[in-house]
This record gives sequence, structure tokens and C-alpha cells, in this order.
Amino acid sequence: MRGLLAHDHQTCRASFLQWLEADAGLRSTYEDLVRRSLYEVGDLWERGRISVATEHLATAISESLLNLTYPRLFAQPRNGKSAVVTCVPNEYHQIGGKMVADLFELNGWRGYFLGANCPVGDVIKLVAEKRPEVVALSAATSFNLAKVVSAATEIRAAFPDVAILVGGQAFRWGGRERVERLPGVRCLTSLGELEAWITEHGKHV
Amino acid sequence: MFDRPDIAKALQTYVLDTAPVMALLLDAEDRVVDANDHARRVLGAGAVGRPLAEQIVDFHHTLDVPAIIRQGDTVHQLTLNTAAGRPETFGFRFFSVSVGTLALASLDFQEQVELREQVLALNRELNNLTRQLYQANAELRELNQLKNQFLGMAAHDLRKPIGLIMTYGGFVLDEAGAQLSGEHREYLQTCLRAARGMKQLIDDFLDLAVIESGQLRLNLASATAREIIAGAEPVARLVAAKKGITLLVEEVDDTRRLRVDASKLQQVLLNLVGNAVEHSVSGQRVWLTSRWEGQNLVFAVRDEGPGITPEDQSRLFTAFGRTGQRKSAGERSTGLGLAIARLVVEAHGGRIWVESRPGHGATFLFSLPTKEEEKP
Repeated sequence: MRGLLAHDHQTCRASFLQWLEADAGLRSTYEDLVRRSLYEVGDLWERGRISVATEHLATAISESLLNLTYPRLFAQPRNGKSAVVTCVPNEYHQIGGKMVADLFELNGWRGYFLGANCPVGDVIKLVAEKRPEVVALSAATSFNLAKVVSAATEIRAAFPDVAILVGGQAFRWGGRERVERLPGVRCLTSLGELEAWITEHGKHV
Repeated sequence: MFDRPDIAKALQTYVLDTAPVMALLLDAEDRVVDANDHARRVLGAGAVGRPLAEQIVDFHHTLDVPAIIRQGDTVHQLTLNTAAGRPETFGFRFFSVSVGTLALASLDFQEQVELREQVLALNRELNNLTRQLYQANAELRELNQLKNQFLGMAAHDLRKPIGLIMTYGGFVLDEAGAQLSGEHREYLQTCLRAARGMKQLIDDFLDLAVIESGQLRLNLASATAREIIAGAEPVARLVAAKKGITLLVEEVDDTRRLRVDASKLQQVLLNLVGNAVEHSVSGQRVWLTSRWEGQNLVFAVRDEGPGITPEDQSRLFTAFGRTGQRKSAGERSTGLGLAIARLVVEAHGGRIWVESRPGHGATFLFSLPTKEEEKP
């Protein structure tokens, strides 16, 4: 956390690797280190203790650390299932969505990640091409909750059978009930809940 | 309202002490005679005492700085060398004052914000592309594994019928060859030659599939260079002699040992000698040598063939990396021998390469590192 606020990439990298190598596991490293640190950074920004530039750089450093997991992550055996993960339109905080896609990969699924501010039309195109078991929509800021609802509605209309998961920091202060009123849509508020969902729907080969 | 003395004092204090604004006082010769703290931090203490024109980056010497300084009503974008060692562009405005000219300058805030957004967006994109690259690599590895499995199964199933064709064809030639007409005997020999070529291709496919699928197991044991060469030499001599090529094996006097899979390395040497013979004509020579270079044992196979162009050299060690070279007697080869050689050498932690100039023959070399525990 101190490394993030000091923009000290090397310290952050060492700490991240230490967590991974200490057998904390990828999910715990993402949830208990990356996610917790970024929530704290967000709180500091909201309370005016750090600038928006520091918050942005902390996010950029954290996201670059995820790249360190990829040699191991993408060497996992596949189970033939896949997930399409994306941030809703107007949502520029993509690290949460990326961690969700990575968690699918870790559990043997193929996790396609579309990135920040993705138009729903692009999501629908990829879903038509890849035919995934699930589409996951991520939103970090609460003013994007309406975008989550409209994106989930459009995807549901195009693909009546695909499971839809939503989540992200936007749901920290509510909104779950609103989105779960849509058929076949579930809101998950932590990577732990996501891992339980993956286990329930077929983990490894 | 802003001309009230207390407000003017507050603005002056903020501009001079807090805001990221550079304030430079210029004398009649446009020399900087004073600067606020921010200007000294950005431009360095050496900025004071030097003409402003000297501190402006003007690659094409087109700026008329004195004229710019006297255009008091316009914001001028001027680039200055900063103390951090990089040029920065500032919006300058000049005011004529009683003791000379006051220059006020700041970075374009909006531009900085846009730049930050762009950098962050590029960083996000770069991270996403990195992820996609790893994902695509994983998918390609899976496809490659499937291809190897298919290749392995197909090659394995093809081997048996080819073996039968060769065995029974050989029986017919041996036992009934004398009763056949010359023309029919030649037909049979052509069949057997084709079957032998096909068997070689299948064997190479199997080797390649095994190595590429990561199933290559090296049976490491202690050996000297002499012992490794000795295992390959008899077959290498036969291959060379069959085409009227003289194989010269340099005697190596060494007792240094290293842990290698000798039979796999002998396969590499035979591939290299076979390749050299294929590209030589009767009466030419091929050399097989070895030497120590520091902690590395280097084997070399040299020929007097036509040599290889630099363009062909880059493709030599890839599977089916056929080159424009013509075999000297129209031999057929699978195009896999050098690729297999590279994979075997790399599995030992070594490297393989070629040195050649068109018209001056070629030397294929591979080096094997000695591991720490093998050092005397």
C-alpha cells in the first residue's frame, strides 16, 4: 500500500510476487492484496488525502502486476468452458473485471476480457462468436449501475440462455436487488463468491 | 474588485509562492535578472543571469525572441530546457514593467490532463494486449499439442505397413530377384527406395512430435567427445563412402567428461554429416571435429559444398525450412533433420548454428555447456 502511494513500482512488484510465492494463491493475492489496497486508495482519494493522479497511477501499477501471473495462469489445463468478461459502457476502471477473467482462467475456463468502456454491441458480437457459458459485467462506480442494468437487459434479449453475472465496487452500497430482478442475472460481490459460483458450475477438466 | 490592494496582494502571494507559475524578470537586454522559486526549481538556479533567448529551444533559429517579448497581449508557446534535462513547452505572456519586462509562464494544464488520460488509456490497452497475447499463446500451444498427438498417432500407425512393405519387398528381391526381368527388378527397387524414404519421414515425424510435445527424455550419462563421435562414426563413414565422399574425423585427445545423452547427440552428428554429404559431390571431403571452448564442448561438421546464402541460413533449423539449395545428386530428405538436431541440442542447454558463404562450403556447429558439477 505504501509502495502504491509512493509510486514505487519495484516495491509493489516484490510484494505481489511474495504473496504469490507464499502460496497465498492467486485468488487471495487478488482479493486480499490488490483489491483491498485499491479500495483503500479509493477511500483516501474520496477523503481528499491523495490526488486523482496518485489514484490513477496506483491503479496502473496494480494492473501491470497482474501481467506477472500470466505465464502460470494461462498454463492451466482447460475444461472447455468459457466466460466473456467486460466493463460496462462508460466504466474506465477495468482492473476488477480483469481479475474476474483471470479467476475463470485459473479454474480451467477460458476467460475472454473485453476491457474498459466496452459497447454492448461488441459484447454481443463476441458472445455470438465464442458461445460462452457466462457473461460477466463489471462496474466500479455507482453512477454506472444503470448501465449494468441496460447492458444485462440487452444481452439477455440476445441470448436467453447464457448466465449473466454482475459485480464490482459499484455494488458496494447497494443495487443488487435491482439487477437481480432480471431473469438469470446474479450479482456477486467478491472473488470468493465468484470462485464458489465457478466451482458450482464446473471447475476443472 | 481584483484591483483592491488586499486582493492584489493575495493574488501576488499565490502566484509567486504557490501556483505552478514561473515569474521571470527581464532587464532591457532580455536577460533574466530575477525568478520566483517555482521558476528556479523548473529551470535551475543557472537560469538567472542568462538571456532568456539562450534558454529557449529554437531548432531552426526562426524565433525573433525580442519581438515576441514585446508583444505583450499574446500568449506564446515557447519551449525551454528544464533543470530535469528535458524540454517543456510553456505558455508565456510578457508584461512591460518599470524595471524591464515581467515574463509569466505555466504549463498548459488542460494538455497535461489530456496527456495523462491518453497515457492511462494506452497503458490499459497495453495490459489488455499482453493478456490477449498470453491467451493466444496458450491456445496455440493447445493446438500444437493436438497437432503433435495427431502426427504421433498417424506416424505410429503408418510405420507398421511401411515396415511390412520393406520386409516382404526385400524378401521378393532377395529370393526371386534372379527370376525377374531387369525392368521388373528396377520397379521393385524403386518401390523399396520410396518405402525407405517414407519410413525415414515417419521416423522424423515421430521424433519431432515427441520432442515438441515435451516428452523428450534425455538419458544423461558421463561421456567424452571421443566417445560421442565414436558412436556415430561407423554409420557416418558408410553414408559418406556410399557417395564417394571422404569423411575425415579429427582425433580428439581429451579426458574431459560431460553429462549428455550420447545416443541423441550421435543422431545429431549423423543428421549433420548426412546433410553435408547430401550437399557434396563425389571426391569432396567432409570433416567431423570437436574442441573445447572454455566450458563449452563444440562439435563441427564442415563440407566443401556450394555453401548457404544468409537468407537460407535463417530458415535452416526450422521444421520443413527447406532452402533454395539443391542436393548434389537429387537426394530426397524430410527437411526435418536440422530441426530435430536443434531441438536435441537445445534440450541439452546448448545451441546450434551454421557458418557459411555461398561458394565456400558450410560448417555446422553445436556447443554443449558443462554443468557446474561436471567441472573438474
